[in-house]
Amino acid sequence: MIVRQVCMRQSRQLLALNRPRVFSRFLSTDEGRFTSIPEIRSASEPEQYSRDASKQKFRSLGSAVKEPYEPEDILRNPPTPGDITLELLLASQTHLGHSTSRWNPQNSSYIFGIREGVHIISLDVTATHLRRAAKVVEEVAARGGLILFVGTRKGQKRIVVRAAELASGYHLFERWIPGSLTNAQQILGHCEMKVVNALDEVLPQFSNGKNSTAGAGGAAEEEEGAERPALKPDLVVCLNPLENVVLLHECALNNIPTVGIIDTDADTTKVTYPIPANDDSLRSVGVIAGILGQAGYAGQLRRLREAEHGRLTYSPTFSAKET
Amino acid sequence: MAFSRPNCIVHTMQSIRRAGQQSSFVSASPIPTQLLQRQQRHLLSTTSRESASEVQAAPEIDFAQFLQTPARIIPASPAYFSGSPKFIDYLLDLERIQAKYAPLPLVAANKAPRMAWFKLPQFRDFVGEQVPVKKYRGLIKILQRLNRIKPNVAPEEVRQTLSRFLRPGNPYGNKPAPATVDEMGRGRGYGKRKASSAVVHLVEGDGDVLVNGKSLAEVFPRLHDRESATWPLRCTQRLDKYNVWAIVRGGGVTGQAEAITLALARALLVHEPALKPALRKAGVITVDARRVERKKPGHVKARKMPTWVKR
Repeated sequence: MIVRQVCMRQSRQLLALNRPRVFSRFLSTDEGRFTSIPEIRSASEPEQYSRDASKQKFRSLGSAVKEPYEPEDILRNPPTPGDITLELLLASQTHLGHSTSRWNPQNSSYIFGIREGVHIISLDVTATHLRRAAKVVEEVAARGGLILFVGTRKGQKRIVVRAAELASGYHLFERWIPGSLTNAQQILGHCEMKVVNALDEVLPQFSNGKNSTAGAGGAAEEEEGAERPALKPDLVVCLNPLENVVLLHECALNNIPTVGIIDTDADTTKVTYPIPANDDSLRSVGVIAGILGQAGYAGQLRRLREAEHGRLTYSPTFSAKET
Repeated sequence: MAFSRPNCIVHTMQSIRRAGQQSSFVSASPIPTQLLQRQQRHLLSTTSRESASEVQAAPEIDFAQFLQTPARIIPASPAYFSGSPKFIDYLLDLERIQAKYAPLPLVAANKAPRMAWFKLPQFRDFVGEQVPVKKYRGLIKILQRLNRIKPNVAPEEVRQTLSRFLRPGNPYGNKPAPATVDEMGRGRGYGKRKASSAVVHLVEGDGDVLVNGKSLAEVFPRLHDRESATWPLRCTQRLDKYNVWAIVRGGGVTGQAEAITLALARALLVHEPALKPALRKAGVITVDARRVERKKPGHVKARKMPTWVKR
């Protein structure tokens, strides 16, 4: 059931200039809010050059702008899976598909209709698939899986980095090196790894000289630690599957499930969990990636809370015998 | 007697109370608690109490052991799957700092302190990854932008971050001491052109010029050579203010004249360093590095080829 916003916009009292920011997204299904979300902190600049200092002088002048749109909000405070509403998806332009001549007929069940020669994606289908994908991301994170967020288009760098930061996952915004999974030892073998306990704290005694950040004393340089096998992600979230065909193919060969934003011209069979949505608009990509990042954050929080009570939510993938 | 095992604590307690009232044998409850044990002791007979005390509460969780056990092995950097995680980490860190200190005032690019950033092979060695040229240039651009922050408001974080990318030592710190006029009032300059090299001593005077002990007209019969030799003084209107003593060896006439030009300009800069922009515009500061090109096999001269014959 979708409950619409009530009275917030019309209230005159709220037009006061110094009112606190009100979340305009109303929950349709309250999945619970998560505390202490890591936000991007404001700049700590010298007093005389502070933006707020100059704003204070002129705050009383001019018109009162109610609910200004700030593009940075998608990164600063991304929506959570509980915030998924059709209004949000519509405002983020996720319903806009491509020209009708460019469509992939396999996607016909995702399409609502045609407007001005462009396919319109059905938003309830988008919402359903997005919620499912968010659940998948949350559960993989809760079980200690490695989640890789991929977005190689221009402008997707900050979106992908922020989503990975929230979900304690990994990001990729430059070209995917072909063979990173099928020839992993060659391409990623030199990259560093770390052995962690249930609370994600590094255990320096298990680090060997070759692949680790924490050196185990001076002996690390001399002993030839065997190179550990390169790691592979447990879930890949791809924001532009049309440009990452090789990546998705490698994931399929290695039995790695993938989540992807499928536009009306994309191939829906290439990903495990398609999200039919607009992949060209940065706003739509930002909202979707933000939701998945928040889902990952919830999963990590759950996993760490279980670990604090001495329970491991997954079977250990590393034993003390491997050194 | 058949006994159905109760699942929840309430049922267990009820059955024990019942057993206690009937003073009959009780099967070991699957979930004994302290309360339950107290109840058992209170209600049951001696024989039942002995069997109940065999079941103990679970031992406390040994968190020290739990936290020392390795659970999984994960990448050290969030950019692991890019293939160059360290470079990406540095890049993102610099971009974060740039965004954080964006409002701070800047100085012009040529006024910013001169920094010796890592050269590409040095940076590749520093990072341990094969970083492409273009991407490294992008990184340098961010460093240069951060370097432009006005030095008196530049935060410590920025300065420390920039220092990580500097070449060791201070290449721009060891500048040679600027040349000065000696105790006899002479300024000295060296110049070369083609095969000639010249040294010129310049001293305040009336405008006498001596080259290898002879007058200018004797050494350079050609007007063009005389004019080019004294061009640094003539373009700054100081021909009557300085005396020139030049010694020049090697090469031909024009080469020697041009060598004197360069040497004279350098000697003049010793007396008046502020003339540098004017002399640069006049074209007497830049060294002419052209040399005679060698003859090559199959050619008549350096470039000239023998006449092409069809057969």
